[in-house]
Amino acid sequence: MSLAPRTLARVFWRCLFLQAAWNPRGMQNLGFAYAIDPALRELYPEPAARQAALVRHLGFFNSHPYMAAAIVGGAIHHEERVARGEEAADQPLAYKATLQGPLAAVGDGFFWTALRPLFGAAAALGVLALGWPALLAAVLLYNAVHLWLRYRLLRDGYLHGDEVVLDIRALCLPAWADRVRLLAAVMAGLAAALVVDRAAGGTAGALLSAGAAVAGFLLLGRRAPLLPLAYAALLAGVAVGLLSGVGGS
Amino acid sequence: MGLLALAAVAGLAAVERRGFLQAMLSRPVMLGPLCGLALGDGGTGLFLGATLELLFLGAVSLGASMALHETVATAAIAGGAAIAGQRLGGQAVAGAALAVALGLPLALAGRLSEAAFDRSNQRLDERARRLLLAGDVRGAMRCNLLGLAAPFSLSALLAPLGAVAIGAAATAVLGAFPHLARPLELGFAAFAALACAAAARALRSARAPFFFFGSAAGALAALALGRLHR
Repeated sequence: MSLAPRTLARVFWRCLFLQAAWNPRGMQNLGFAYAIDPALRELYPEPAARQAALVRHLGFFNSHPYMAAAIVGGAIHHEERVARGEEAADQPLAYKATLQGPLAAVGDGFFWTALRPLFGAAAALGVLALGWPALLAAVLLYNAVHLWLRYRLLRDGYLHGDEVVLDIRALCLPAWADRVRLLAAVMAGLAAALVVDRAAGGTAGALLSAGAAVAGFLLLGRRAPLLPLAYAALLAGVAVGLLSGVGGS
Repeated sequence: MGLLALAAVAGLAAVERRGFLQAMLSRPVMLGPLCGLALGDGGTGLFLGATLELLFLGAVSLGASMALHETVATAAIAGGAAIAGQRLGGQAVAGAALAVALGLPLALAGRLSEAAFDRSNQRLDERARRLLLAGDVRGAMRCNLLGLAAPFSLSALLAPLGAVAIGAAATAVLGAFPHLARPLELGFAAFAALACAAAARALRSARAPFFFFGSAAGALAALALGRLHR
């Protein structure tokens, strides 16, 4: 592996812009080409060869933005072999095409529907219970985990090529995802308890909040749309307040 | 000055939401207090951000589906609540409830705009190809970053405008009908409880309901016992 560490660092930075020009036809294609460009510049000193490589990478690409780091790293691994004449020019594209779907599924399942909701719920609960320090702790911890994983995936993809799949499998992300979701459900439950406990209007307010949580949970399970339900909850609270004379005059 | 700061925060958050980084900085729980701070009321933004975070916990675009735009809605709601809170004095929660009622449709407007921006990005894709074939690699790569301009501009425009309108409307309503303040607080409590339920529903796990209701019931029992002992 011959890429300068500074170049890999630049690729990592540019990976953060993967979805900057997301579009329905090529999806993350522009972002992928933008991310891999510093590596191609080093691998192909001749402008025509670099240009041809960039055109290759402007084809359709779509994956999870965090997991895509592994594919960018692996594509650089393959481009290095192409530049040395050890592989055909279509090998990096085959690598991308093979991995983008499965890694999108793993990333969506772990990061978007488990880890980020956990930290979101933890931050919200922390804010309700403790205020600012809990919010900052949750966001810092999330980013320590997410940025470390993104860098590690890029580095492992570059160093190991196709075998990055084994590294990702070793992380056991799908198995962790369900546990993380349950922990997030506990956080949401604790937040609900705080909301009910602190509700305005005494016992009436507490009963109203508990009712809104239970009814909302059941209705959302029946695919009721979120925003109309939010208005219904607000209006129900105002109506109960007016009818029970909570407002006074 | 505060509105300029709000525009900058909201614009950067819209960029961070999808185009760059995605490090939770544009999530309501972080954005709410930042927008509140921009207008001199971090406290209102803090509790509003936490509630909106729970409401929008499942707001994530998976595949071709496009989520509600929680970022632009949060920025306008937190900004509007901060403006209303400063004008109304001790009616921050009632002002927040009205801000939520007035600002939630911006989540739909943001989603529609995002779809339009995605379509317009195809022109950037075509331009990048043309530049690359003409040998202008630097220009072609810059096309990727140009995709950040539209979400930044829209959010930087919508958030302060929305905040001013929401703040003015909430102030007018509570100024004309002060007896609505306590019922609105009750309404906010019901809304916050629904937000917690929405958070639990967003977790796609068959066992999540047991953990959600179990922990809520356990915590309520512990709080009640704690009061009895005092």
